[in-house]
Amino acid sequence: MQKNHLIELLTQKDNRKKKSKIPARLDFLQSATGAVLVLFIMFHLLFESSILLGKDAMYALTKAFELDFVFKGGEPLFIAFLAFGVFVVFILHALLAMRKFPSSYREYSAYRLHAKMIQHEDTSLWFIQITTGFMMFFLGSIHLYTMMTQPDKIGPFASADRIYSDTMWPMYLLLLVSVVLHASVGLYRLIIKWGWFEREKSKWMIKAATIFYLGIGLVSLGVYMKIGYEHRGEYGKRYTVEANK
Amino acid sequence: MHRVYEDGGREIVLTIFRHNPNDEDSIPHFQDYPIIERPGMTLYIALTQIYTSMDHDVSFDFVCRAGICGSCAMVVNGKPRLACRTLTSEFSEGKITLLPLPTFQHIKDLSVDTGTFMNAMTKRVEGWIVNNSPQDISTIEKPIDPELSDEIFELDRCIECGICLASCATKVMRPNFVGAVGLNRVARFSLDPHDSRSDEEFYELIGDDDGIFGCMSFMGCQDHCPKHLPLQKQIAYMRNKMVKVR
Amino acid sequence: MKIIYSDALIVGGGLAGLRSAIATKEKGLDTIVISMVPVKRSHSVAAQGGMQAALANSVMGEGDNEDVHFADTVKGSDWGCDQEVARMFVATAPKAIRELANWGVPWSRISAGERTVIMNGQKEIIQESQDAHGLINARDFGGTKKWRTCYTSDATGHTMLYAVANEALRRNVIIHDRKEAISIIHDEKKAIGVIARDLVNGELIAYVAKGTMIATGGYGRIYKQSTNAIICKGIGTAIALETGIATLGNMEAVQFHPTPIVPSAILLTEGCRGDGGVLRDKDGYRFMPDYEPEKKELASRDVVSRRMIQHIRAGKGVPSPYGEHLWLDISILGRKHIEKNLRDVQDIAKTFNGIDPADEGSKGWMPVLPMQHYSMGGVRTKPTGESTTLDGLFAAGEAACWDLHGFNRLGGNSVSEAVVSGMIVGEHFATYCKERNLNANTSVISKFMQKQSDYLNEILAYNGKENIFDIKDEMRSIMQEEVGIFRNEEGLQRAVKRLEELLIMTKQINVKSKIRGNNPELNEAYRVPKMLKIALCVAKGALERRESRGAHYREDYIKRDDLNWLKRTITRWEAPEATTPTISYEELDIAKMELPPAFRGYGRKDSIIEHPQSMERTQEIEAFKATHPDMDRFELQEQLMPFELPLDYKKKNQRIGAEYA
Repeated sequence: MQKNHLIELLTQKDNRKKKSKIPARLDFLQSATGAVLVLFIMFHLLFESSILLGKDAMYALTKAFELDFVFKGGEPLFIAFLAFGVFVVFILHALLAMRKFPSSYREYSAYRLHAKMIQHEDTSLWFIQITTGFMMFFLGSIHLYTMMTQPDKIGPFASADRIYSDTMWPMYLLLLVSVVLHASVGLYRLIIKWGWFEREKSKWMIKAATIFYLGIGLVSLGVYMKIGYEHRGEYGKRYTVEANK
Repeated sequence: MHRVYEDGGREIVLTIFRHNPNDEDSIPHFQDYPIIERPGMTLYIALTQIYTSMDHDVSFDFVCRAGICGSCAMVVNGKPRLACRTLTSEFSEGKITLLPLPTFQHIKDLSVDTGTFMNAMTKRVEGWIVNNSPQDISTIEKPIDPELSDEIFELDRCIECGICLASCATKVMRPNFVGAVGLNRVARFSLDPHDSRSDEEFYELIGDDDGIFGCMSFMGCQDHCPKHLPLQKQIAYMRNKMVKVR
Repeated sequence: MKIIYSDALIVGGGLAGLRSAIATKEKGLDTIVISMVPVKRSHSVAAQGGMQAALANSVMGEGDNEDVHFADTVKGSDWGCDQEVARMFVATAPKAIRELANWGVPWSRISAGERTVIMNGQKEIIQESQDAHGLINARDFGGTKKWRTCYTSDATGHTMLYAVANEALRRNVIIHDRKEAISIIHDEKKAIGVIARDLVNGELIAYVAKGTMIATGGYGRIYKQSTNAIICKGIGTAIALETGIATLGNMEAVQFHPTPIVPSAILLTEGCRGDGGVLRDKDGYRFMPDYEPEKKELASRDVVSRRMIQHIRAGKGVPSPYGEHLWLDISILGRKHIEKNLRDVQDIAKTFNGIDPADEGSKGWMPVLPMQHYSMGGVRTKPTGESTTLDGLFAAGEAACWDLHGFNRLGGNSVSEAVVSGMIVGEHFATYCKERNLNANTSVISKFMQKQSDYLNEILAYNGKENIFDIKDEMRSIMQEEVGIFRNEEGLQRAVKRLEELLIMTKQINVKSKIRGNNPELNEAYRVPKMLKIALCVAKGALERRESRGAHYREDYIKRDDLNWLKRTITRWEAPEATTPTISYEELDIAKMELPPAFRGYGRKDSIIEHPQSMERTQEIEAFKATHPDMDRFELQEQLMPFELPLDYKKKNQRIGAEYA
């Protein structure tokens, strides 16, 4: 066994002179994890924007995620499970995608100079992809860590307090922009890469979706800020449907 | 800014990258050549005029001058393209900057070595028909579905000009990347009923991050291909095939 | 001194050179191909329309076979060709095309059932048989009795060259590109290689081998207006000439193609007319049927080109800033056909002229004018491809005159010849190299090396007032005006005189940059004298040949003179300091011809000075056929004019319906 690995080290092929199938698996997994994350984020953003429909709507949705229709009052642990699941996919995706990052200054500068020369949209988009990807290493991790450790602190007031009073809003603003742009460009690449749909149409639709998600994301963030500001005096107090009537 | 002459020709300026890497004293620089534009002037005509009447030392490559042979690819105002098919009138400012094609060994001025890379690429992807069954060429040829033959022809139209590589950010960063030219070649042979190779065998040629899995779908290849080859479709086709190989 | 040894050395990486390289590799010989450009850029790539081979798959090719292809080729050559070579060629061409199919050329294939075609300006419906489904298709071309030109849209040369080049790479043929052969090394008896110049750094390299092949294509660039790639300067032919031993054949036989586009001189394939396109004059009138009632636009190229110029001279040309021209109309073929089968033509017209030829009516007409297109002349060889006078020197393809095309080549026979000669001559060449030991005296090699090195230094030391670019321009103008489609004594004399002066002037130049390395002006300075020597062979051959034959048309001797001129022009450059070639002739023997001289079936019927032997030979053949009714066509042929082919190239070709008959 050990010796077979040495054969691969020396010849880049295995003991039957065959190429490793790992690159194929990695390539597929990178796309698959990316696709899962795109789907996740599309719904995530929609759900958190439920605040636009009112605090009740947001509250009801939160409770639904805590499976309050099964366990009375809801069980935040499910959120933690969900967050953990996403975290695993997220880390996997990050690991796989790192393979494609510029690995040295030479590579980075070659890319930048080339992109500057050729003025080609799809090429330039990659800069967005790598910068937002890089930012999400941190921002995504912070957010997911919060969700895993404090799954109970979700709700119209709890979230708003975190955003406003805990001064998490700069983090969320950056994360929102990063995640939407990264997912959009990533989804577009997936379509191209695997030849799923026609290119121009896909590009047009993804642009529209990007604007939509950025729009609802920013407005929601604004609404949370407003609630947080108004709620600053009662920081930590949880939302109840009755109290708000 | 440009002056208008009586014959209707405006003055245009070609700015050419000048350097001879084989000459130790040569320092890379840009040189301006003002010329009078004529109706229907292509970069072939413009450069030939500069060479024969202004500067006998400027080097560039043209062969067929009709967009068929792929010799004259260069970077024209930032875009890799075939110089012989580029009309000077396309540039309303009258300023045209010419660079040699990146990602290839530079020879001199606008001339680069594409032959070495392309021959090596052909060998690397084994870009030829593989079929070990005996063939008698005095007997009637193997029938091929007419539409399939047209489809193969479509991919066979690649002229190895190198523009797909020079337009590819992946290639610019990772010199070992085989590029659209190589991946399209494999797709072409995988379609051909004369070729007996299986997907497993093609995997051995391109199944790594310098091959099919190296492509990051920047689309520079397809968007600049002077033959308008459906490169994205071919690369996607091969990628789908290659991930299925067990 | 850098010397690179190999078993077989091939100069030129087009179809003929690379196919020959495959033949030598097949025999296990270490083979090097040197080329001025990456081999896939060779001019073979530009052949658009197709490759002739009598496959008879399509209903329009029914009844076609080697005999019909042979007759078309001989008539096309205006009886100037070597009929034995033509026989070798037509027997091998179907094998060549099938071999290429196996190597991946995506030939256009036949679909069974109805198909609409344009013939004589009219839509016609033809019915392809079920048996032919999926077999190689063919289109109509000028000067052929059957639809015989196989094609891949209008990029036939491209797909052929790529298939052959890829196959050569598969077999590990060594390719050295950006190397220009500037002299042939020989020891007075045999050729043993070349001195080549590395075009990247100017270094001189001696390539030494058991045998040397020239496959460098034509010399069209000695003309001002030519469809040829800019590398087609005839340098390979010139270095053979400069040995003083090897000779050139029929250099005055230069073909003008009827339909290059104006003004960029880019060829629009004969397939345009083959598929049904027509020529029109300034009134939009289709004039060719008036001149050539039978073949119309599809008479041979020499005839159509002359008729076009004749029509322009009659005041029917379309005036333009680039001089008068005529129109080529393919819009009648319909957009669908054009976008599938004539896509490059459409692309060229759109890019260079802003015309979409699929646009209906006069809007889509493309401006065309006959221009230089092909060089029938070249290094004179035996039917084996070996020089008649210098051992070890072979030539194949357009660079050679073995002599398949005589005084006019049929459309579709060029790439066909390139590949077929690569097979046949390549095989003879391989046998030659295989049977010999490398016997190269280093002192001979170094003598040649020194000579070229001194020559380049001499050029750099010239301190005159002339400009090499002006000399070249003037040569090209002279060739265009005086040695073009219509030629006469006075003009040709002027041309020869001035070309000689120009040759002398090439030593009175001053090359600005004095470096031996990468120096484009130096390239011109040693190429132009070689081009002038070729031009002189063409002009002097044309001056001396006082008749009209094929593409060589003398206004003062308008008849084809079989009585006095049924012979091949042989030119030799006797001494390095000579300023004009020596001309001699090689008789063509009617008594050995399978097809004795007669009327071609197109062109002027009343313009032949017949040779009495032609009639005798015709009668002899008829009598032989009558007395041997039991013989099939192969046996008859063998009796009338035996020929030989290497390998199993003489095997009968199978065809649908006819099998091996």
